[in-house]
Amino acid sequence: MNMLLTISWRNIWRHPARSGILLVAIIAGLWAGIVTMGWGKGMVQQRSDYLIRSELSHAQIHHPEFLAEREPWMHIPEAEEVSRWLAGDERIRNHTMRSRADAMAQSPLTTTGVRLIGVDIDTEPDVTTMHRQLTVGEYLDSDVRQPVFIGERLAEKLNLEIGHRLVVRFQDMDNEITAGAFTISGLYRTASSDFDERNVFVRKEHLSELLAQEPVVHEIAMVLHDMEMVDEVVADLNRLFPGVSAQSWYEISPELRYMNDMIGIMLYFIIGIIMLALAFGILNTMLMAIFERVRELGMLLSIGMSKRRVFSMIMLESVMLSLSGAAAGMLLSRLSIGWLSRHGIDLSMFGDGLAEFGIDAVIYPVLDGQDFVVVAIIVIAATLIASIWPGLKAIRLNPIVAARE
Amino acid sequence: MSIIKTEKLSKVYNPDTVPVHALREVTMSIEQGEFTAIVGPSGSGKTTLLNMLGGLDRPSDGSVFINDTNVTGLSDKKRIDFRLNNIGFVFQHYNLIPVFTARENVSFIMLLQKRGKEEMQRRADQLLEEVGLGDRKDARPGELSGGQQQRVAVARALATEPRFILADEPTANLDSASAMNLLDLMEQMNREKGVTFIFSTHDQRVIERARRVITMVDGRIDTDEVRKSETDAA
Repeated sequence: MNMLLTISWRNIWRHPARSGILLVAIIAGLWAGIVTMGWGKGMVQQRSDYLIRSELSHAQIHHPEFLAEREPWMHIPEAEEVSRWLAGDERIRNHTMRSRADAMAQSPLTTTGVRLIGVDIDTEPDVTTMHRQLTVGEYLDSDVRQPVFIGERLAEKLNLEIGHRLVVRFQDMDNEITAGAFTISGLYRTASSDFDERNVFVRKEHLSELLAQEPVVHEIAMVLHDMEMVDEVVADLNRLFPGVSAQSWYEISPELRYMNDMIGIMLYFIIGIIMLALAFGILNTMLMAIFERVRELGMLLSIGMSKRRVFSMIMLESVMLSLSGAAAGMLLSRLSIGWLSRHGIDLSMFGDGLAEFGIDAVIYPVLDGQDFVVVAIIVIAATLIASIWPGLKAIRLNPIVAARE
Repeated sequence: MSIIKTEKLSKVYNPDTVPVHALREVTMSIEQGEFTAIVGPSGSGKTTLLNMLGGLDRPSDGSVFINDTNVTGLSDKKRIDFRLNNIGFVFQHYNLIPVFTARENVSFIMLLQKRGKEEMQRRADQLLEEVGLGDRKDARPGELSGGQQQRVAVARALATEPRFILADEPTANLDSASAMNLLDLMEQMNREKGVTFIFSTHDQRVIERARRVITMVDGRIDTDEVRKSETDAA
């Protein structure tokens, strides 16, 4: 085996330029593929993480029909009981209660549909990070009367500024139209311009007062110590509190999981295309190598080298060549992704367009060890498949004719 | 003692389309220690005969016995092993592995025989000394002259301690001096070690040195001339 390895390795370097070009192609291809993969995964993960952190949390509890009907009376009567259970469960890190209403926001200029979210300013920051999205003014802990925290995009649309009044109209618990006036305490900006235009945050007690003049809870959101436990916690909640519906983040936002799955498939598809090009490169190089070494292969087959060994030698050459390139390509990719995951890929020039899709302008690529293993397996598989034909060509040579070529 | 025997050896190429009779019922034997040239014009069948003797090709009819083993009856795998352990090959184009040194080229074939590393090294060095390349052991084929490369090929052929060596036009690519040196070496190996050499050749220099000359014409042995060696004459 050692001799086979030696001969294979030295054979690779018979034509340093040719092998070098192929190596560079493998390195560049892998680097491009892996960094693209990291970028895609980073983008999706950022979007998921962001939505989970800022809006979805790990799991939510609602009236069983609230998410479909969104009627104000569909609240959670046993909210306090659920809250106590959540506070006592070790798997739950934090939870918060919210009241919600779909409303029309008015300004002297225009009217637009918004979602009013009444948050508990003491517990909400432990569950979501919306307060960190503040760009101008103050969060809901402001001293202004009935503060409201709105997106920059909505403020722009309604032509409102900090300190201006925002009037909202919505149905109360008795299905009567009610209205409230809030003072804009702060503006926020997230990665999603659509989110910024639609979501308006007020204090829970202010919204409850308008809804029913008593505490109203439409939603309980929670974060867990370990997100992987979410299914278990959701199942327990649904079992213990049959009058409510607990759902995990991916049940609330199935498109997010679908997007995760899709991007995974798409990225492996890209890697597949790169590997196809790599396979043809290997095939071409190995076939050239076989044609150049017909006499030598004829000699080997004549003197008593078995076909299995000749075939192994050809396969080894391909594998060593591609693994060298793959190792260098993956190392380079690892370093690149390491650097990019700290500094990010700045796509600010497309920032507005990306914001329409709720994607940050700066993407931080991520890849885990498993991705590298999968890529390595794909490289080896592509190489082995590409080497089969040259290997068969070598062992099908007529030793007599080949040795005299 | 015969080390090779053929019985009514025939080879027909393209039997179903345009049959070409390369060999026609060739019966012959080669004794241990012979220095034999198989000669003849192109298409006479000498190369086909050499391939049959080397177990590289199967006859259409007849048999080849090497030390009482019917080579024609062996499976492909067994023929490969048989060639490795019983027959040495020297080719017209030397056919050395260019990425190996002279020593590695000689060792490589012993590795196929699964010999120990130390034994391989010792024997390779010894053989290279014997063929006059003791000081070029670490040279790669590209750094050696044609004559030197062919000497490495002879050392490689001897490395497995074969029963005989088949040399296909071994001097065809060599200048006169190199060819004569190579023939001197082969004769010396034949004389001193009893190595049996069988040449397929057009080269008059080889024919003149051979102690037996088998002339092939149209796939048959036309003449089989046994010459007396200098030792016999003495």
